[in-house]
Amino acid sequence: MSALLQVNQLDKHFGGLHVLKNFNMELHKGEIVGILGPNGAGKTTLFNLLTGFIPADSGEVLLRGQPIRQLKANTIVGLGMARTFQLCRPFVGLTVLENVLVGSLGPRVKTHDIGARAMHLLAQVGLADKAQQASELLSYGDLRRLEIARALATEPELLLLDEPFAGLGSSEIEALSVLIRQLHSEQHLTILLIEHKLREFMQLVSRVVAIDFGEIIAEGSPADIVKDPRVIEAYIGKQNPLNLDNHA
Amino acid sequence: MEILIYGAVTSAIYAMLAVGFTLIFGVARILNLAHGSFYALGAYLAYVLTTLAGLPLWLAALLSIAIVAIFGVLVEKILIRPLRSSQLGVLMISLATALVVEQALFLIFGSEYRNVPAFIETKYNLFGVDVAGQRLLTLAVATVSIGGLYAFIQFTRLGSAILAISQDPLAAKYMGIPSDRIFSLVMAISAGLAALAGVMAGPFLSVQPSMHLLPIVKAFAIVVVGGLGSIPGSIAAAFMLGYAETIVAYMVSSSWTEIVSVLATLLMLVFRPAGLFGKRAAF
Amino acid sequence: MKAFKGLDTLSSIGGLVALLLLGVLPTLFTGTYLVGVLTVAAIYGIWAVSWDFMSGLTGRENFGHSLFIGVGAYAAGFLNVHFGLGPWWSLPASMLVAMVFAVVLGFPTLRLKGPYFALAMLSSAVIMQRLMLIFWEYTGGEEGIHDITPLIVNPLHYYWFVLAVLGCITLLLSWMARSRWGLILRAIRGDEATCLAAGLPITTYKIVSLVISAAFAGLGGALYAHYQLQVSPQLFAVVTSITIITMVYVGGMGTIFGAVGGALLLTVMTEGLRNFGEWRLMVYSLLLIFILFFLPNGIIAPIWQKIRNLGRPS
Repeated sequence: MSALLQVNQLDKHFGGLHVLKNFNMELHKGEIVGILGPNGAGKTTLFNLLTGFIPADSGEVLLRGQPIRQLKANTIVGLGMARTFQLCRPFVGLTVLENVLVGSLGPRVKTHDIGARAMHLLAQVGLADKAQQASELLSYGDLRRLEIARALATEPELLLLDEPFAGLGSSEIEALSVLIRQLHSEQHLTILLIEHKLREFMQLVSRVVAIDFGEIIAEGSPADIVKDPRVIEAYIGKQNPLNLDNHA
Repeated sequence: MEILIYGAVTSAIYAMLAVGFTLIFGVARILNLAHGSFYALGAYLAYVLTTLAGLPLWLAALLSIAIVAIFGVLVEKILIRPLRSSQLGVLMISLATALVVEQALFLIFGSEYRNVPAFIETKYNLFGVDVAGQRLLTLAVATVSIGGLYAFIQFTRLGSAILAISQDPLAAKYMGIPSDRIFSLVMAISAGLAALAGVMAGPFLSVQPSMHLLPIVKAFAIVVVGGLGSIPGSIAAAFMLGYAETIVAYMVSSSWTEIVSVLATLLMLVFRPAGLFGKRAAF
Repeated sequence: MKAFKGLDTLSSIGGLVALLLLGVLPTLFTGTYLVGVLTVAAIYGIWAVSWDFMSGLTGRENFGHSLFIGVGAYAAGFLNVHFGLGPWWSLPASMLVAMVFAVVLGFPTLRLKGPYFALAMLSSAVIMQRLMLIFWEYTGGEEGIHDITPLIVNPLHYYWFVLAVLGCITLLLSWMARSRWGLILRAIRGDEATCLAAGLPITTYKIVSLVISAAFAGLGGALYAHYQLQVSPQLFAVVTSITIITMVYVGGMGTIFGAVGGALLLTVMTEGLRNFGEWRLMVYSLLLIFILFFLPNGIIAPIWQKIRNLGRPS
């Protein structure tokens, strides 16, 4: 079975800094894969490259076999790959509902009544009662949910989540994990997510790709990754995310 | 050869205007469209103080610069600072201020050209070219003032504070640097420099109420080309623009000169919005 | 469930009533003075509404709107006087010319952040003004183009025509602003990167909205040309752009209909200040400063909101 997302030899320099080194990755339909790495490892750069927000120097990105590396960001969304941002930026001046509506205007949305669909999405993420609120007044946790609702509105096949748990309290993290798992099973979404704390996605993902300094240092199940010596080394001296009793 | 000398003079004036404009942007992130008004007020005050108050030129010049500097500080404090959260709000209000000044000048002085006396009346012959002494003096004054400003920023503590704010305003605040007072200082320098340009160039450039508009268009062109926030960039770009205009004026016709600046702006914005020196070389 | 607000019935009726009242007003007086003032007010209304649609919604304030007005007006004058084209051709021609300029200028400038865009447009308008003077053999230089044929000779009838045009444009743009278009433009104002992530081709939307804005500005320019029967480089002046922006601020940014109110209010105010002659522009600028400080939401739209809410339980 061919991969939903295929990344071949993706490479990026920022000036003299080699941020991503001949990165290879495969993502199959229905997987939830996590990308683990300390700060500065190149995770968000990877996302930006995949989704067309910054141009890569070389390499290939294939979505369902179709090359998308040179395409514009909004075109890629139209092909079924949506993303959230680490720093949630709602549309200032728009209500929560309108935020989701904006995501509903793409070519993949076949429903006529996008208003009802948007409300349904808000209900799914638990924001239905806040639909008419000004989006910039939402709490941090709610903003995360709005981000996801907005991304879902584009009717994606593949969802990229950029550090969805950053800055959240433990109960919120729990709730968000439940939501992600729900979306994965109910909507048949393939999910790729970035985190720099292993604890958060230990139970969520089926496969982990660990990166540091722009290259893959290990790949495998969460249980294997925790024991991998290279991963442990990458984290010594930085935070200790492998201490499972540690909180954010 | 004429082009070389006249180009240098034009560039020097543009440099004085552009440096002030880019300085206040680099430090306070303010695009001050009233900057041209400082230039205009410098010239007009020199005119008023010499003609109507009968003061000697050197005193008139100093007073003019001082008054405009204070005016600049007041404008920044009262009108611009409250709106600092919106860059466009600042643009609007500074533009509105510029128009108020223009209208005031028009109402008081009418639209005829006014005569600002020159420091040096004689003409010199330099390398076979007749140049008004005033133009050469302007060139010298520009060099000294900009050089002095650069030295001030590089070598004094206050200058370092200015650099710090322009690179990271929040961090500078945490370090106890009084940003509000520095803004006022920078504004005073910026306005004073523009006024100085007005005083020096008034004798040989047109002095009428709408004289603020073209300089601001050109200053914007220069800082775009040189890179907003970069003094060396502004100086380099000022020279490029000054020479480009002079060459166009000599080879084609003087009425085309303004097109040069806007064309340069548009082209640079299209191909390299960060300018030649970009934001990285923030001074 | 309706996703977009669409045109508000109450406001539409209110607008229609206001339009009718404005149409009737000059008939109550003798002489053509009031008609003249209101015609200019209506044209300013067209310019203000066209500005508000693009800049009011996206937050990208266009400081060079006078450029589109000027090229529309000059196109009308040029075709009429130098090519002998019938005056009614001016209308589509002026729109076309303005739209071309919008495309040419829009591509390089709309990518830029707010202040850059504003200043780039300002610079362009200044240059256009210069060009009109440079090519004086074609454009008449300072004097401009004279002896333009009027569209409709009877001032009252022409006024009604302009009013009708204003009404249609306001209706159309109001409807667009409250539909998908408006939502997208407001989203662009909110955050462009997020718009891209939502799958929207923002460059296309920005340019098209600028083109629409320019088209109507140019149309207004042509209407102005056929009213004044002459065009001069003054049309390109920064003051024109600032006046229009002030009108929109007074009316309430982004509301579209507010701009009409702002245009009316300010034009009438100007006439009232006519005795102060040269003080007009000064007053405008001071007014703008005042509004920027104390009334960022304008006057007209908030008042209308209050009126509407009177009938509602709180």
